[in-house]
This record gives sequence, structure tokens and C-alpha cells, in this order.
Amino acid sequence: MGATIFVALFSFTAHAEMYWSPAPAKHGHGGHDRHAAKGFVLNDGEGARFELLNPQLSSVAVEREHGHVMVKSTGMDNYHALVATRGDGRLQESATRYIYMFGKPSGESPSRIMGFEKAALEIEPSPYAREHWRYLSATQARFLVRYRGAVLSNTSVMMRTTNGSNSALKTDADGVLTVELPEDFFNIKPGQMENRPGEFILTARHSDGGSDYITTFSSNYHVNPEHWQSTSMGAGVVVAGMLIGGVVLVSRRRKEK
Amino acid sequence: MPIWKNLSVIRKVVQLLTFLFLVYGSVFVGFYSADKISGAFPALACAYDAKTADYCVLIPLQHQFGHLLGPAISAGVFGLSVIMPTLTTLITFVLLFVLLNKAFCGWLCPLGFFQEVLGMIGQKLRLNRTESLDSKLVERIRPVKWLMLGLLVILFPLASGLGFVGHELGDPFCKICPSRILTSLAAGQLNQLYIDTSSIGFMILSIIADTMFGLILVLSLTMRQPFCRICPMLAMHAMFRKVGLVRLVKNYTSRCDKCGLCAKACPMDIKEIHTSKEKDILFPDCTLCGRCVEFCPDKGVMAMKYAVIPIKVSDPQYFKARNQAQKVWEGKKKPSRKPGKA
Repeated sequence: MGATIFVALFSFTAHAEMYWSPAPAKHGHGGHDRHAAKGFVLNDGEGARFELLNPQLSSVAVEREHGHVMVKSTGMDNYHALVATRGDGRLQESATRYIYMFGKPSGESPSRIMGFEKAALEIEPSPYAREHWRYLSATQARFLVRYRGAVLSNTSVMMRTTNGSNSALKTDADGVLTVELPEDFFNIKPGQMENRPGEFILTARHSDGGSDYITTFSSNYHVNPEHWQSTSMGAGVVVAGMLIGGVVLVSRRRKEK
Repeated sequence: MPIWKNLSVIRKVVQLLTFLFLVYGSVFVGFYSADKISGAFPALACAYDAKTADYCVLIPLQHQFGHLLGPAISAGVFGLSVIMPTLTTLITFVLLFVLLNKAFCGWLCPLGFFQEVLGMIGQKLRLNRTESLDSKLVERIRPVKWLMLGLLVILFPLASGLGFVGHELGDPFCKICPSRILTSLAAGQLNQLYIDTSSIGFMILSIIADTMFGLILVLSLTMRQPFCRICPMLAMHAMFRKVGLVRLVKNYTSRCDKCGLCAKACPMDIKEIHTSKEKDILFPDCTLCGRCVEFCPDKGVMAMKYAVIPIKVSDPQYFKARNQAQKVWEGKKKPSRKPGKA
């Protein structure tokens, strides 16, 4: 019996969780066609079902192509949710990724799809890094971990990145998970477009009675522009601008006199 | 005069409340771009401010020219799906603009408010003010706003989308806009105050942005509305001012020729308010602040109207009280000890 318990625990804790990642781009960093199909890979996702939810929470069919899930434009603007689920009775798994797509205005706030219950156990971005923002290294990101809609306090969450970082995190009493995205990019070049984004994956686990739940949230994160944007130099130039302004005023005053 | 009757004080209160709402208002409207009030606001609210309630029309226009129209023209594909987003942005802007016309500048713009507050601080510090700029200088400055609109908001983003210029010029006005720095600093962010060393182009743009911000900080202390005079939003307003519901009208009399107080009061140095004999005196540089109406000493000569409904009409009693209040504010006259008087 002891062996059975050990195997069961080990199976749960050692189970490779499934998660979404972008499919390798065919050419360079991808073209500029905003309506082109986007490819995603469901890692360790054998046997999983998946669906694409649009901002109005309707399910949209997605195609598989060479092992990749191809997400085509739905004609609707804003965030969509790519959700994979798998269950064998005792273990329920889910993987979520949010994708921004271009199209006609959906008329919905992204808060709706973010807050919609897509699986029993969920990691909800609070908020997601919106359109003019990105997840950046060396910055904090906030999430809520929820089980059947209710927040889970003091729950362990693992984070790992494709740049090799691993962290063990915990939600606070309000179920809030504060993630410090690591500064783990290497060979950083100046300029946002010169650096490929990395991926971070959050994994949460929860047990409830006889059932176990695993969920992952994955997203890209980018090099922090602080590597080539200097705030202190900016402040210095502002002061220089003020000095120039002072000179302009003094010279105008002398002319008037 | 009672503070609540002073149009300038009312305007300041509206400006302050609007500033707070635009800078911090995501608490009420929501965090995401789709939550914002319009996404095409006719004043310089900024999307780079994480807490903003809305963002200005110049942001989506630059992005659409650079990422949509330019590449579409380059590819030879120019269908409805390409022009619809830009049309939607412009229509949204016009629908809002019709409601308040150029009063978006004089009553709601965060950067305009900031410059006026600095001016008030300069007055209180008794700094030597330049009340009116030389008319030749004003004439030289006026075309700059059209250049800002034409080059920075339209041409360079389009050229970037067509591949003629680099990515740095995809949204050049945003890169130099002082409101981006102001509103993000007000929201507690330092990430918009920087020198970008990733390329020569980005470095030059960031140097221009920070230098201009510093210039505005100092010039605003002793000069009225330094950035407003060259703002591309002012130019965009000027294009549509005939369709706005708020009007500025003048019933010219012969007394106007010997007066000129309206032009002296105008923070944008629009001399034509004084010299014009036309009914419609809503000139391209006007921000509908209403000071010309406040400082007109004659009854019914100047009026601000909402469609046909007068909002503020010049009145000699109001002028007298307002003039006294202004002198008390500037320290040229001691406040009256009698209650109810300035």
C-alpha cells in the first residue's frame, strides 16, 4: 500500500504537464500579415482536446497541420483563448494561452475572456499585458489562481522559462500570484526587434478529494528595454532642455529691454 | 467675484478633474485598450500611461498608417478591410469632436492643463511673464502644427509602412510627444523617460522628446501654452472646427477697433479675434478657453455658444469683476475686505 501511495504521488508530481508554445516560424521572425494564421504546439498534449474561444466566448474550430495547431483569423478583434483539456477520471489537466488577433471590433472587454472559467483549475492573468504592453524581464506580473471560480490561497505554482530559469512561487491569502519575470536573456542586443522573446510557463496543481488538477498558463516575455533605454540619461536631457529654456527666456528678456 | 462665477476657475476645475480621470481612469473604465472610452480621444491622453482612461486619436492613426495602409499600398492590396479601421478611428474622433469642438484643447487636454498650471506657478513666483508673443513670431510658429500633423502623424508612418524609412519613424509623434512623458510620470511610471541607444534614429527621437519636455517645463512658467501652438492635435481640430457644436461668435461694433482686450487675453495670441469683423471667430489656433469672452468689456459682443444656445456672453459687469479678480491673482491689487467681492 505504501508503494501504491508513493507511485500515485510520484505519478502526480512527476507528470509532465502539457502547455502551449508557439510553433517555430517558417521564415525569420514571421511576416507582417496581421491576419495570417498562427501556429502553436501543445507540448506533452497527447490525447488532449482543444478549442479556441473568441472574445464572445464562442468556440471556434482550429486545424491541425503537421502536429501544429493553426489558429486562423476569426474575423474578430482582440484576445482569444486557446484551451487544451485532458482528463482520465482522477487527473484533470488544462493548458491555456491567450492570442491577440485582428479583425472587426468584438465589442467585448478582454476581461471577459480572461475571467471566464475555462477549466476547473485556472491561472488567470490579472491583468494580461495589454496591447501596448508586454511581459518584460525583470518586471512583475500578476495572476489569480482559481479553482472552480474561487481563488486559491497559499497554493504553490512553479514557473519555468525557455531561458532556463525555474522558480517556486506561492499565491497569497487572496489567491494572487506575483511573478517576478527573471532577467535571464543572454546575448542581449540593443533594440526590441533584435531579441527573440522567451516563453514562461506557470504550472499550478491542486487536489480536491479524489481528483487531482494541473493547469498551465504560457506566454512570451521580452527583454526589458532598460538594457538600451537609460532613464538617468533621459532625466539629464530634460534638465538640459530646461537650461536651454532658461537661456531662451533670458535672451528674450534682454531683447525686450 | 464669487469663485463659482469665474469661468477661468470653472475651467480649471474641469481641467483638473479631467486630468485625474484621463491619467488614472483605468480604475473605472478598465485596463485593456478595448475598455477605453473611445480610442480616438480629441486631446493628448496617452496609451503609454498604464492607467489611462482613454488615448488620443493620433496613436491609432500613426499605427494604421504604418502597419496597415502603408503595407497594403506596398502590396497593392487596398480593400475595405484595409481602410475601415482608419475610417472608424476618424469617424469616432469626429463624433466626439462635434460635441465639444476645440474645447477639447482648452478644457480637457492633460498637457494643456499642465502648461497652464506651470504658468500659474510662474505668476505666483512673480517671474517676468511674456503675456503676448511678437506677432511675427506667432506667424512663423503657426505653420509648425501643420508640419507636425502632416509629417509626424501621416507621412513618416506611411513611409515606414511602405518601407521607405525605418521602423523608428513608424510612430514619430508618439516618440516625441511631451504628454507621453507627462502622463506616464503622473501615473508613477519612469519607463517613458529615457534616452534610447538602440539606434541613431531612436536616440535622436528620444533626445528631442526629453529636450522638448524640459523646454516646456521652463517656457510654460513665463509663456502661455508653448506646446499647444505647435501641437498636431490643434491642426487636426482646425480641419473639423466648422462641424463642432461649440461656437465662438463676435458681434462686431466700432468700439472693437479701439479695444483689443480680447486678443490680449488670448493665450494663443490670435490677433485676428480683435481685427476680424466676421461673425465666426473660431480660428485654427483657438482652444475655446473663453478668455476673450471674459475680457470683452462690452455687452453681447463676444459669445461662446453651444449650437444656438449662449453659454457665455461678454458682459461689462462680469468684465469688471473678472478684471479685478485677475489683478488680485497677479498681485497687482489687494483683495477687497468686503465679502462677495474680489
